[in-house]
Order: sequence, then C-alpha cells, then structure tokens
Amino acid sequence: MAPIAVGDVLPDGTLSCFDAEDKLHKVSVHSLAAGKKVIIFGVPGAFTPTCSLKHVPGFIERAGELKSKGVDEIICISVNDPFVMKAWANTYLENKDVKFLADGSATYTHALGLELDLGDKGLGTRSRRFALLVEDLKVKAANIESGGEFTVSSADDILKAL
Amino acid sequence: MATNILRRAASSVITSKTGSLLTGTSRRSYASVAVGIDIVSAAHGVSLQKARSWDEGVSSNFSTTSVKDIFKGKKVVIFGLPGAYTGVCSQQHVPSYSKNIDKFKAKGIDSVICVAVNDPYVMNAWACKLTAKDVIDFYGDFDGSFHKSLELGKDLSAALLGPRSQRWSAYVVDGKVKAFNVEGAPSDFKVSGAEVILEQI
Repeated sequence: MAPIAVGDVLPDGTLSCFDAEDKLHKVSVHSLAAGKKVIIFGVPGAFTPTCSLKHVPGFIERAGELKSKGVDEIICISVNDPFVMKAWANTYLENKDVKFLADGSATYTHALGLELDLGDKGLGTRSRRFALLVEDLKVKAANIESGGEFTVSSADDILKAL
Repeated sequence: MATNILRRAASSVITSKTGSLLTGTSRRSYASVAVGIDIVSAAHGVSLQKARSWDEGVSSNFSTTSVKDIFKGKKVVIFGLPGAYTGVCSQQHVPSYSKNIDKFKAKGIDSVICVAVNDPYVMNAWACKLTAKDVIDFYGDFDGSFHKSLELGKDLSAALLGPRSQRWSAYVVDGKVKAFNVEGAPSDFKVSGAEVILEQI
C-alpha cells in the first residue's frame, strides 16, 4: 500500500485501549475522526527514546495550543498491545489530552501504508514516525519521516499546518 | 516426583511427540517440550534479546543472545508468560519467582529467566517497574521464534495480544529439560509458579 498522502481519505480501522476503569475498548478510527479535526501521530515503539522523550512530550506540551486552533482529538498510535500502551501512557502523569491507542497487529498501520520493518532492532513490524492532520476524514497534512529521524513529525511542525 | 511430572504433562495442552525429518524431503521439525528433550537442539539457531534500554541496544549493536549461550553448561529455571504488563503475569507469575530467588540460589540455579513475546525495550521497562531486574534475567522473544520452535506459541488475538505464548516453566540442566510445566489455559496460574518447580529441582 502506498503511504497515506495529502488529499487521501483516512481509512477506517480498529484500534484498542483501556479506559480509566481498566476496561478494554475497541475503537473505530472513523468514529473518532468523522466530522472532526484530528491529529494522528505514529511512533515506532513504546518505551523507546525518541518516542518517549521527544515525540510524545511535544504533543502533550502543545495540546492546549492545538486545541485552541480547533483540533478535537490528538491520537498517538503505535504497534504495541493495549496493555503496553496503557503502561506507557501512565508514565506521562501530566497528560490530559493525548489518547494512546494500540495497533497491536499493525493492521491499521498497514492500511496507512506506513509499516516499517525493525526486525534487526528486535522490534518486528512497526510504524514509521509520522504526524497527520485530518479534517472530516480528509488528510490535510502528512508529515512522514523517512527513517529514524525526528525532523518533520513533531507537534511544532504540525502546528504550522493549522 | 516422576508421577507428578507425568500427571502435569498429561493435563497439559501439548501432547508429547517428537517431529522427525522424512528421508528425501527437507522439512523443519519442531519438537514440543517434554522432559528429556534438548532445548538447544529444539530451538536450534534461535536467539533471544536480553531486556535492555534502547541506548544499550545501540551500543551493543542490537546484539542477541543465542539459546545455546543461555543454556549450555548451566542450571536454568525459565518461565514464559503471555505478556508484559498484563494481569496474572505482573501480579502473580513474576513475583512468585522474584520473592523465591534465594531458594533457587540455594539449589545451585545459575539463572532464573523470564521470557515473553515482547520486544526487549518493553521487557526492560516492565522488569524495572516490577523491581525484578536484578534477580531475574528478562528476555524478549520479539518475533515468537523461540516459542514457535518449542510449540509453545498461542494465538491470543481474542485478548488483543496477537501471537504470544503459553504460560509455562521449565528446569533445564546443560540444555536438557529436567522438569516442564504448562498451564491448561494461559490465564491459569496453577502449575507454572516458583513453588511448583522448586519441588521438581
């Protein structure tokens, strides 16, 4: 599948997460994004440095600013199971706005055309690092890193598209 | 002791059989775990990834540890579980081993190993969270190849975990399995805890 690009319709898919009462939920992407302005950013792996120390904190810090510009949802997805995503989300005590959703079998990542083979790092199939701005299911900005860098997919970069 | 092991083996999901190579065809054989098998031959060529931070991964060039290096010439107690950060694994399985570590040392065990189908960075963060990293060696079987070679893989997609492993434990001396226990269901915790295997050493 070709990587998702500006002008594409965001595909639907199912992600999962635990709620505050520790109940497991399956979530449809379209149910979160239809009729709304959403940011979806993807990371290669929970508990890995750039993801944990730079990419996620950037969106948590800028959440207020993003919401003031009309963003309804800020969603972080990773190819990890929902137990790991919950544990990782819990390390961000100050987070109120970023939703951590699990794409455990990389199905949604495949639908976006953003899968990345990180087998040699002991990670298996993961997601590329990216950030999308989506308005009523239409992709308005698609900032996708080519490798392990962190040059185009930050919160600051997507703020420029708003 | 032998009857105990047989009783557990009979109640386990895996039936004891050994695969064999057919003459004239090349076919990978998978041996299921049972007392007496050589784990190094069964998981021939397979490696695990020691739990570590990403920086440690980079500085070690993402090196892996072969099954041979883990088991050859050592007395090892190894237990496998469905997933880091999940209920029974976190609250019962790992603590049962970490709090009994002195008893294992007293019986001459060189290492107590916990393995799961998770990447080594998640295993590392989990091991730190459970404050068990200095007593148990945590390894990731990130692509499930170790568990697949031992026929201990289990599809847990229904629990949104994907391909994982059974819940099991084994006592292995110089690569030879001396005791082996596997739960009837991965959510059970009846035969794979530390108290059971301590009796079998």
